[in-house]
Amino acid sequence: MRRRAGLMAGTAAVTVLTGALGACAPSKKAAESGSGGGAELRIATTTDVVNFNPLIGNSRTDYWLTNLMYPHLLTVGNDGSKRPSLATKWGYTNPTTGFYEIRGDMKWSDGTPLTASDVAYTLNAVKKDKPSGTLYGQLANFSSAKAVSPTRVELKLSKPDATVIPEVGFWGNVVPEHVFGKAGSVAKFANNANWVSAGPFRLTKVAKGQSYTLERVTPYPFAPGGRPTVSRIVYKVYPDVNTEILALKNGDVDAIANALPPAQVQPLKKAAGITVEEVPGLGYAHLAYNMDKKPLDNVKVRQALSHAVDYDAIRKVVLQGQAVSTGSSPIMPVLKQFHDPSLQEYTFDPAMARKLLQDAGYTADGSGKFPLSFRMIYSLQDPVTAQWATLVRDDAAKAGITIKPQGLERNTYLAKTDAGDYDIYAGNFAIMDDPATNMTLTYLPKGIINYSHVDASDLSTLVTKAQATTDVNEQKKLVQAAAKLVHDQVYDNVMYTQNLYVAHRSNWTGFVVKPSELLSIVDPQSLANVKSSS
Amino acid sequence: MPPLARFALRRVLRGVVTIWFAVTVTFLMLRLLPGDPALAVANPNMTRETRQALLHQYGLDQSLAVQYGKYLWQLLHGNLGVSFSQSVPVTTALMDRLPWTLLLTLSALVVTIVIGVPLGVLAASRRGFWDRAVQLSGVVGQSLFVPSIGIFLLYLLGLKLRWFPIGGAYTENTYGIAWYGSVLRHLVLPCLSLVLVQLGSYVLTLRSTLIDALGEDYCTLARANGLGERKVLWKHALRNALLPTTTLVGLQLGFVVGGAVLTETIYAYPGIGRGIYEAVTQLDFPVLQGAFVLLSATVIVANLLTDLAYGLLDPRVRTA
Repeated sequence: MRRRAGLMAGTAAVTVLTGALGACAPSKKAAESGSGGGAELRIATTTDVVNFNPLIGNSRTDYWLTNLMYPHLLTVGNDGSKRPSLATKWGYTNPTTGFYEIRGDMKWSDGTPLTASDVAYTLNAVKKDKPSGTLYGQLANFSSAKAVSPTRVELKLSKPDATVIPEVGFWGNVVPEHVFGKAGSVAKFANNANWVSAGPFRLTKVAKGQSYTLERVTPYPFAPGGRPTVSRIVYKVYPDVNTEILALKNGDVDAIANALPPAQVQPLKKAAGITVEEVPGLGYAHLAYNMDKKPLDNVKVRQALSHAVDYDAIRKVVLQGQAVSTGSSPIMPVLKQFHDPSLQEYTFDPAMARKLLQDAGYTADGSGKFPLSFRMIYSLQDPVTAQWATLVRDDAAKAGITIKPQGLERNTYLAKTDAGDYDIYAGNFAIMDDPATNMTLTYLPKGIINYSHVDASDLSTLVTKAQATTDVNEQKKLVQAAAKLVHDQVYDNVMYTQNLYVAHRSNWTGFVVKPSELLSIVDPQSLANVKSSS
Repeated sequence: MPPLARFALRRVLRGVVTIWFAVTVTFLMLRLLPGDPALAVANPNMTRETRQALLHQYGLDQSLAVQYGKYLWQLLHGNLGVSFSQSVPVTTALMDRLPWTLLLTLSALVVTIVIGVPLGVLAASRRGFWDRAVQLSGVVGQSLFVPSIGIFLLYLLGLKLRWFPIGGAYTENTYGIAWYGSVLRHLVLPCLSLVLVQLGSYVLTLRSTLIDALGEDYCTLARANGLGERKVLWKHALRNALLPTTTLVGLQLGFVVGGAVLTETIYAYPGIGRGIYEAVTQLDFPVLQGAFVLLSATVIVANLLTDLAYGLLDPRVRTA
């Protein structure tokens, strides 16, 4: 009797489990097969998609995946300059009116033409509903958009702002009005089923925590013959980059699109069957000295701190030579059209640091230590910064300055950053593609990422003027003057631009490398052209 | 009311109170975490206005008491809320993942019992080399840590020998029987990790209780009645020795669930454990609350069933 009961319980358990699993089992009918052949490209990522609505999504994987469905008006070159994508022409007709001319040959995957109305709808809806994605942050001086023809959209600005057209074009995805318009607020629309895409791929299957499958969309004008070369893209989720590397070596995936840890680059370059690609960096790592805290409001103290960091050692040891100096300027050399090569990096000179501190009125004790102690926060999620934080501490000690590094879990780090609860902020920005835009965010008193808490009228005047002018030469002069002020007054201590490396299996060719980890080798135009030789 | 029904009712009431306690502690602890969900979920460059709008949308601008009251009211109506980060109902977010966690934890439990019982019997009945070997393995097993064993197995069996895939729960674009086959292949390493870390305690507990049982009077009497040693061992001693082991199965379920969080994270296994890990990084309170309610309810129900099974197996428990 008991045996029978046990057997029945066991059978019931197996039935329940099989039923539950059966619900997860994909049916061939439901999964759309890529039409007409072509290989499948499997790409590793370390995070799930959090949000399928590109106007809300913020994670790297959100960006990679939604970019394959919702086009950007502009893309970016390796030097940060804006290049055509959906938009073929862009600019300003007067200081408060901008425009985009868009292609007339793009369609959504359900056959609806992609027109200027979709662009105008996207911008107006974001302005109205205030979704939490990146685009809304670019619309501070944007009033409204209007489609004046199927291929031209005009933007009205509340005040002159030269950054709106290039930055909205680069950061904003265009979404289909006929889908998103029915959903009510774009800030609350999950967009988690029945995706409509303007190519090159369309999401067809989601297995949370496991994989995301996208099928080819045709026609796509940026693919050879209007047809993406691979039939299917599968993003596979792994817990971290080390497991991704194991999976790449094992042949479980074909590419890793996120940046490799610096120490893994050389071993992977030597690994058989693996190709490593260099991705130009468009961001920088920096130390922001909180000027709300005394004595960091004293320029001599900030200059002393700048002379108490061995930048070369950090770039050579921690970054294994995969980074370049910016000359302590917030305009990196990669931004060729704006960079000022006359600005020189602060030298690592503990004696100079000591002299500056003495000039500032500080006296070292018998052991050579000054009565100065600073708490430096950094995110433990960022292994590179975590490594150089200790070098910064040790270098400062040579100048008699005490720095106490405080590694924090990401959310605590964000909260302390937001509250200004630090003396020194150590971190990095992933993409600083447009100096005028970035300086409004980093150096104006109410800038969202003004981590130095700088409030300097001369700097604010330069930045505000640079933001307003649409004259490129004038803007260059203004941002260079602002960068010189930042350099000389140490309103920000910019340390380096890191060049990134990604890897793929060598049988795959045709990747188009774009700057930054966000674009990397998984930009839509890259994935529409990639080929497998086996 | 019959004693068994009274016993069952008492246990059920205790289970309900325990779930309420777990729900309340989870709710309060999440709100003690540093940071705020708006910062964790949204673009860090957002304006203060957007941040306030998000906090309002999440209901986090209300007092703790109001938030708690609303949460309990929702819960009583079977509503776990809406995920902050994904904008989908928590039930949807969790139900996608639940089958994988059930598959992993139940498989690990079954394999542990299937291997653990014979090993415990072997150690108790063949004192000497086998006993020492099983004891040593048991102690080593108990000292293993899921991440260490996970990385080792991935390296050896995944990368070097290429017997099993690196992560995931199945191979994409496989269907029918091939899909079930790929599910099994992907299950082996995470399941093995969980089995290895929990096997020791089962084996050692069973060994010790079985040795005690074999020395009891009823076993001596059975032998005196001419029963063979095998029958004494499997039919008389083992049935009594299994009682504490049954309790251990219930108690260990909590550890299995905890182990599953780590295991799923290491093997990129798409279960609730990995969902919890991601929700923690995003401070997604509704998903975390929902996951903890689900997991604590699972553990409490399993313990309840263990208690009831114990009551059925041993009449003394019902009247205690």
